[in-house]
Amino acid sequence: MIKDEKIELKEFYEIRKDVLQTWPTGRNVSIEEGIKFHRTIPEERRFALVMSKARKKRLTLLQPRAGVALIDDHIKLLRYLETEGQADLLPTTIDAYTRQNRYEEAEKGIERSKQTGSSMLNGFPAVNYGVEGCRRVVESLSKPLQIRHGTPDARLLAEITLAAGFTSFEGGGISYNIPYAKRVPVEKSLGDWQYVDRLVGLYEENGVKINREPFGPLTGTLVPPCISIVSGIIEGLLALRQGAKSITLGYGQGGNIIQDVAAIASLRELAEDYFHRAGFDDFELTTVFHQWMGGFPEDEAKAFSVIAFGAIVARLSGAEKVIVKSPHEAMGIPTKEANAQGLRTTRQAINMVEDQVVLHPEDIRIELELIKKEVHCLIDKVYELGKGDIAIGTVAAFEAGVLDIPFAPSIYNHGKIIPMRDNEGFIRIFNQGNLPLSDEIMAYHRERLNERARAEGRPISFEMVTDDIYAISKGKLVGRPR
Amino acid sequence: MEKEKDTIVIGVIGSDCHSVGNKILELFFTSEGFKVVNLGVMVSQQEFVDAAIETNAKAILVSSLYGHGEIDCQGFRDLCIEKGLDSIILYVGGNLVVGKTPVSVVEEKFKKMGFDRVFPPDIDLKQVAELLRQDIKERFGSSSKEQEAKDQSEQDSQPDQKNPGDEGSQNNLTGQDNQNNMKEPEGFKVK
Ligand code: B12
Repeated sequence: MIKDEKIELKEFYEIRKDVLQTWPTGRNVSIEEGIKFHRTIPEERRFALVMSKARKKRLTLLQPRAGVALIDDHIKLLRYLETEGQADLLPTTIDAYTRQNRYEEAEKGIERSKQTGSSMLNGFPAVNYGVEGCRRVVESLSKPLQIRHGTPDARLLAEITLAAGFTSFEGGGISYNIPYAKRVPVEKSLGDWQYVDRLVGLYEENGVKINREPFGPLTGTLVPPCISIVSGIIEGLLALRQGAKSITLGYGQGGNIIQDVAAIASLRELAEDYFHRAGFDDFELTTVFHQWMGGFPEDEAKAFSVIAFGAIVARLSGAEKVIVKSPHEAMGIPTKEANAQGLRTTRQAINMVEDQVVLHPEDIRIELELIKKEVHCLIDKVYELGKGDIAIGTVAAFEAGVLDIPFAPSIYNHGKIIPMRDNEGFIRIFNQGNLPLSDEIMAYHRERLNERARAEGRPISFEMVTDDIYAISKGKLVGRPR
Repeated sequence: MEKEKDTIVIGVIGSDCHSVGNKILELFFTSEGFKVVNLGVMVSQQEFVDAAIETNAKAILVSSLYGHGEIDCQGFRDLCIEKGLDSIILYVGGNLVVGKTPVSVVEEKFKKMGFDRVFPPDIDLKQVAELLRQDIKERFGSSSKEQEAKDQSEQDSQPDQKNPGDEGSQNNLTGQDNQNNMKEPEGFKVK
């Protein structure tokens, strides 16, 4: 059974033998060689260090998502985002076959992309290219590089890309399973991510800091802040246990400015608090704000507005990093030009609000206190279910619906909670399912939703949820009656 | 008495995890009076075809959002024919290829693969339901009486279908309580 315990090196190397055999490029991955290579990477290309500087200097760094099937095109794309897009941090977004460990299909995608001359994959198939191919990418760029994906079992991907010189790795056992998979047991993904974190810990023990970033937005669709924050804190705790030290916790924009600013503030406070309580003191915590992760408007002019709005709130929230969308979001993987446009839109908006200090007025404080209470209810219960062990507790919590992510595809998720917007666009919880939120908290959510129902002259109904899902893509925040 | 509803199979093909639109399609086509067999996300061609055979479906509505639709849908029609589904209606919709691409280009690609109709993500679903009723009528000579079915759908919304190939799934969103007209759905479970 899974436990929140540091994996013994002997056990790690046992598992590793099997992991490296799952695809030919795994065969001669060397952690030792990887560590040596990392030591040659200049400071300005080390993700953890750049994030930590951003924290000290109170910067909000810009990072796009990007990945295509062929290496040369991928390098061209990232270089363009570096120069024309002025990105501060670079990604390598992995394709969806690789995310499901379907490397044969990724191989077909590479072949077809060569034939057609354009990318037939929705990302970069890093495993198929192996350490050598990935190293070429690393050596062609001058900004810190991160692997961004959505892989329940990312062990081989991590082995290859870390050895190749990537300095940050996104994901976690909850956030890269429940929103991204259908039939992967929580216990399995948590275990596989303990392996990834142990690998990161191993690099760390050898003086190589790898940044780890749990994926905050989850399904990107009306996710209440407390759910996202709890998931991030749990994944942070599990990563710290295995020896990771540079943690960036994420949150996807909800749309109400007060709620979003409060969410980042509470994420930071709560994570610090829970990390210390669990006995961890030697870590560096930063935050990342994702521009709107749900359905986008198709009209590019409107999409730019969503992007700029996200940029402004990211800045107001004080997050150290913002993940940037493109004007093509509703339609398809962006061209390099569209991707750079998203970056430039974001840069301009951030620069305009950069020096404005936003006080924490009373309503931000109210929301912040609410989120904290919610998170306490949830995490306390997870610990209780695990008799003090957060890994055991997490498995039990998903079984019991104590943790529940809206709209997720996983059969291991209850899918009972129903979120919707209140009259001001805050994301509230209408049906709590089995979430152990107190009556007082639920009464507050209900009251705010009743306010909307009264304002719209219709009862609280499921229609509101579907209206909310479509709202931003149709030009508004709250899904008003049609 | 109400005529039997037409069965349609829906799902998201390949390694695609986008579950939100799929859930909405289930709700929508159910409310339009179809009997919807929802296979959820990450469905293989084989699973679609098996489900269609098992439920005697008139149409399969394939979704693909993540860009690999072009690879995942290759040979879909051939497989249908091979398994004896000669006249089944095949629709496909979503963000079907990698990158922003003119609708006409996408349409041509997928029609070549044997899909009867191809839809972009922002399609008006009402229009799709109309087309589907027409196509069913043309190909199978009859269709459920739309209005009747629609009137019934409120009461009929209990999840009665057993989804093949998806044992672990429970159904969802049952408008169970009748107090006033306030619906309190039980959950929004996506398979
Ligand atoms: C939310 C979201 C996510 C969430 C999904 C959570 C979940 N489990 O559902 C997360 C963050 C996890 C995610 C992940 C990924 N995503 Co995503 N995602 C989106 C986003 C923003 C919204 C999708 C959504 O829920 N819309 C709301 C619903 C109601 O609309 P819908 O899904 O479009 O469905 C409607 C229509 O398409 C239509 N429809 C759909 N199917 C059919 C079928 C028929 C027959 C008909 C008639 C109609 C029809 O009706 C539906 C209901 O109205 C879209 C972009 C956008 N639309 O703004 C990208 C998008 C779909 N994602 C994309 C990609 C590539 C991915 C990833 C592969 C990551 C990556 N490389 O960037 C991974 C997926 C990994 C995997 N294994 O699948 C791309 C696809 C690109 C392309 N085709 O060129 C998009 C378009 C973004 C982009 N521009 O890059 N994503």
